[in-house]
Amino acid sequence: MSALPAQTRPARRSAPAPARRLRPAPEPGARRARPRLAYAVVALASIGAIAVVQLLLSIAMTQGAYELDAELQKQAQLQREQQKLSDDLDRLESPQFLAANAEALGMVPNSDPVYLRLSDGAVLGDPTAAAGGAASSAALVPNALIDGVPLVTEQPQAETAKGEGGKPDSPADGTPAAPPALTDGLPTPATH
Amino acid sequence: MNRVSRHPMRRIVAAGLALVLMVGWFVVRLVDIQVVRAAELNEASKDVRSETDVIYGERGAILDANGTVLAESVMRYNITLSPKQAMATESFEREAADGGTVDVARDEALAELGEVIGRTGAELRTQIDGELADDPKADFAYIAKRVDTDVYERVKALGIPFVYSEEVPSRRYPNGAVAGNLIGFVTEEGEPGAGLEYSEDACLASEDGEMTWLHSLKDWVAIPGSEVVNTTAHDGGDLQLTIDSDLQYFVQRVAAARVAETGADWATVTVMEAKTGRLLAVADVPTVDPNSPSSVDADDRGSRAFTAPFEPGSTFKALTSASVIDAGEGSPTSGVTADFRYLPPNGANINDSHYHGPENYTMTGMLIDSSNTAMSMFGERVSDERRYQDMVDFGLGSPSEVGFAGESGGDLHGGPDEWDNQTKYATMFGQGLTTTAIQIASVYQTLANGGVRMPVTLVEGCRQPDGTLTEAASDEGRRVVSEKAADETSEMLEQVYLHGWLADQWNIPGYRVAAKTGTAQVPDGNGGYQAGYLVSVSGFAPADDPEFVVSVSIMNPVKMNSSAASAPVFQQVMSQVLKKYRTVPSGAQAPELPATW
Repeated sequence: MSALPAQTRPARRSAPAPARRLRPAPEPGARRARPRLAYAVVALASIGAIAVVQLLLSIAMTQGAYELDAELQKQAQLQREQQKLSDDLDRLESPQFLAANAEALGMVPNSDPVYLRLSDGAVLGDPTAAAGGAASSAALVPNALIDGVPLVTEQPQAETAKGEGGKPDSPADGTPAAPPALTDGLPTPATH
Repeated sequence: MNRVSRHPMRRIVAAGLALVLMVGWFVVRLVDIQVVRAAELNEASKDVRSETDVIYGERGAILDANGTVLAESVMRYNITLSPKQAMATESFEREAADGGTVDVARDEALAELGEVIGRTGAELRTQIDGELADDPKADFAYIAKRVDTDVYERVKALGIPFVYSEEVPSRRYPNGAVAGNLIGFVTEEGEPGAGLEYSEDACLASEDGEMTWLHSLKDWVAIPGSEVVNTTAHDGGDLQLTIDSDLQYFVQRVAAARVAETGADWATVTVMEAKTGRLLAVADVPTVDPNSPSSVDADDRGSRAFTAPFEPGSTFKALTSASVIDAGEGSPTSGVTADFRYLPPNGANINDSHYHGPENYTMTGMLIDSSNTAMSMFGERVSDERRYQDMVDFGLGSPSEVGFAGESGGDLHGGPDEWDNQTKYATMFGQGLTTTAIQIASVYQTLANGGVRMPVTLVEGCRQPDGTLTEAASDEGRRVVSEKAADETSEMLEQVYLHGWLADQWNIPGYRVAAKTGTAQVPDGNGGYQAGYLVSVSGFAPADDPEFVVSVSIMNPVKMNSSAASAPVFQQVMSQVLKKYRTVPSGAQAPELPATW
């Protein structure tokens, strides 16, 4: 297919030569001067813009670094707070402390198991009164963590609105102490 | 045309050459800095403002069967000061509450500091002077170790410029001495010191990581993007035990009270699930509080239930009886006629603990009266080899599956070939060989579980940080004696519980119980026996469908040198176990078996 048009192409020489005419050569640079300046301006402006943006970004990053640092310190502070509170909680829920409090309130263990079967009201086992007398058992199973923590019976009767850290609320006055005050209202989840 | 343009090529070549030289120099410098001296320069740059911090991996917690924390990792703080700076600081400024500043004199500050950490200001001053006397340039001294967060914050609040602090990852045992002998402790250097902390360190251990970061010059704010984690930290796994901490507390309390009452050297109480071999409580007295392990003798810090083998004495007769029945050489009602002394043909000399004339004992009666002579007559019906093999099958002579730190396997006195004539008989009633309290509990577990021994389990497994449980304990049992032998032995032990001399003291109303006492002589280490005894009770309940095994051993209760010392402990602990796990009381009474014929 490609060979065919070549055969039919007219010979160049048969075309009449165009007449040559002299004309002034264009001044070099005269027409390009304006576009070159525009390019320079655009380039310089871009560099300037990039520099400004980078500066702003860097400022923002530095600002962020300080904010991050503040938040990290707050986090560490809160972690320590949490640690302190869980220390207190562990002390209060240890079996030694619970047993010592129960004994201080006059409770005695009854080791005789007796059950009431609900289906027919049958009593399983022989009911026996508690022997009691298992006082001052605290020293038998020591716990260095609760040394010096006052028992419920040793608490001051007057309770402040906010329970003091490390001490359980006193049940002695009959009314349970008010829960700690919420400073920012009830916590609500932030949803979007 | 001007002159410079006359040789345009020369100019271009010169400029090109200059350019090539310049670029070449840059390349050389680049390679030099980035490749040749890279490591050296990196090091130098780190020294300038870079900080290296440890990222602490958290050592795993130890949890009881219900998830109660028995041991946990906490951050504690060492308070330090610089003696040199302290003496150079006559006074310093502190921010006052009203926003201004107040001048605080050094001695005043020391007094305040002493009050917070529980020392006096004069004491601190003496320490500073002492440090400076040793070394006038002393810049570092500990003034308090491992203080808690509260004290740390109060020290910080004082704002004393020459006082510093450092973080120390530490261990805390919220329940104090509850299971303290099992858990062990971690030393001040952070090394596992004893117990499970030591033997299960592979599960608990964490790995610290390391990071470097750059900080700003004045206020030590991290430069964004400069943090590099060199090694990541790995948290340890949580150790899940089969122990129930409430029950453990109760058992320890009862045991400790009894030890104090009877003036005993030590005691162990073991509570085991009869159907699974899981240990619910292992109490050791004297008890160690892992929060202050140094408050008891080093010998008392481990768990004697695992580490201290003893001659079990008469509780062992249950095993020999099961062997005799399993071998088809006797039944609960088969009889012998036994005097208080028995002189077998091989030259041994067997005596009962009390004088009696010839008695027509059944095997049941032998157990009720705990007669050594009658036991010998039954025991000699079985070959020594077979008895020895049964002991091994019951788990004696080798440490249990728990693999506790320093656990003993007991000693079966070699084997039948090495037993002398006396030992051949003595091993029938639990003398001349040693077992641990855990092994005895395991023997009773096997009898309670129809002759199938379950592996002794203290550690359920290791809970990895990703939540999977690894190293889970095996729960495959192994038949030791026939079900008939185990059940008949159990029925005989019920008769011991009902008619033995301690029947009134260990009575648990409403339940069928199987139990046996032991009053064993204790070797004095010189071939003879000590004056005191190791008194014990082992048993299980409810005997009609055994759920729990309780084994009590008390060493040398000087004020009451008989198994009467251990019976009330057995009674209280078993009652508590049955109550705690809401075990339905037995309906009927145990069938009676004749003690004589």
